[in-house]
Amino acid sequence: MTIAMTEEELLDRIKAGKLVEGPEYATERYIEGLKRTLIVSGDTELISAPAYMRAAQDAPRINSYISVTGIVQDELGHAHIAYRLLRDLGVDVEELVYERDPKDFRHPYAFDVPLDTWAEMVVANAFYDRAGFCILDDVFQNSSYGPWKRALVKVEREENFHLRHGEQWVATMSESETSKAELQQAMDWMFPMTLEWFGLPDEMKRHGEQIEYGMKGSTNDQLRQTWLSTAVPLCEEHGLNVPAHKEGDAYVLDYPFPCEFDEDAKRWLLDEGEISWDQVLERWKRRGPANEELVDQVQRGYRQMTEMLA
Amino acid sequence: MTVDEVQAALREVDDPEYPISIVDMGLVRGVEVHDDIVTVKLTYTSMGCPCQDLIKADVHKKLLSLGATQVKVEEVFDEWRRSDMSQRGIERLRRLGVA
Repeated sequence: MTIAMTEEELLDRIKAGKLVEGPEYATERYIEGLKRTLIVSGDTELISAPAYMRAAQDAPRINSYISVTGIVQDELGHAHIAYRLLRDLGVDVEELVYERDPKDFRHPYAFDVPLDTWAEMVVANAFYDRAGFCILDDVFQNSSYGPWKRALVKVEREENFHLRHGEQWVATMSESETSKAELQQAMDWMFPMTLEWFGLPDEMKRHGEQIEYGMKGSTNDQLRQTWLSTAVPLCEEHGLNVPAHKEGDAYVLDYPFPCEFDEDAKRWLLDEGEISWDQVLERWKRRGPANEELVDQVQRGYRQMTEMLA
Repeated sequence: MTVDEVQAALREVDDPEYPISIVDMGLVRGVEVHDDIVTVKLTYTSMGCPCQDLIKADVHKKLLSLGATQVKVEEVFDEWRRSDMSQRGIERLRRLGVA
């Protein structure tokens, strides 16, 4: 693969608003950064599929089952885009997807915590897909990588359907006290989980490279605020409590952030107070309870067929 | 409430995935109005369309806000073809990169 640009030439082109169409218009540092970003995106979309399939089994009606399996199909399509772009950059995608250790997958820790009820499924649509939408919309608006930017047009539309599916069910389940209590229980652990998904706060993360290279346009804290600006009003509209409120133009969190999570009880240990981001990173690195199960669902068929064909 | 008013209102109900109306998409297969009770016949682009519930909910919401006392959405299993889309719909989708 020819890499012909100097760092200065590349940055000048990006500043001038020109898109990078392939490695020949970039530097090795840019391509390596892009690969890391695409792997996170591909893994997130891919692992959301078995995570949602698990919860599709709780669908209350055939139409709901169709909706969730339709969402799963969309997510797999989005994963396919990211891996296809990685293949074009010279990555061995077969090895990446089917032979990687489950712990080395780069999807957010959130997906490693299993979704066990229909309420958790629809809150995943309303919260997790909204996070995906915020992050991908930012890439779509700001990415300097032409092939990805163009591929994201359709992805955006589909993610919009996913979060609307969540919103509609949040409205429906808010109508009775019993189902509303289920929703509230799901939101109690999934709201902080989604906020954590956006990663280290700006004061601890150097965004320099990602923003300079046009891999993203907003910082982690800005994306967190974007998410809060629509997630909180949705919950308030239906009388659901979430620990955040607006002060001036920004949302403020009403709980220690970050804090520790009891995976088995699916409960945040709010009483134990704030923990360090190093402790969060440690938990992420250990991965969550469903990590092996979900990755195995993706890899098992490949392994069995490879053995049969050998 | 007239059939024309209902048709006009349905032009403001977008497909959940694309910013084109369900009328331009060619999903509306009939409208009847009797004493503000509205019946809308709808088909989908596929039998297993994942957006069915959302489309139905959007149609209900729109027509109730217009003053309908009752809204019935009847699914008709008419085949949907690309040629059922309006020219406006086709052009909008093309701009989004959907051929």
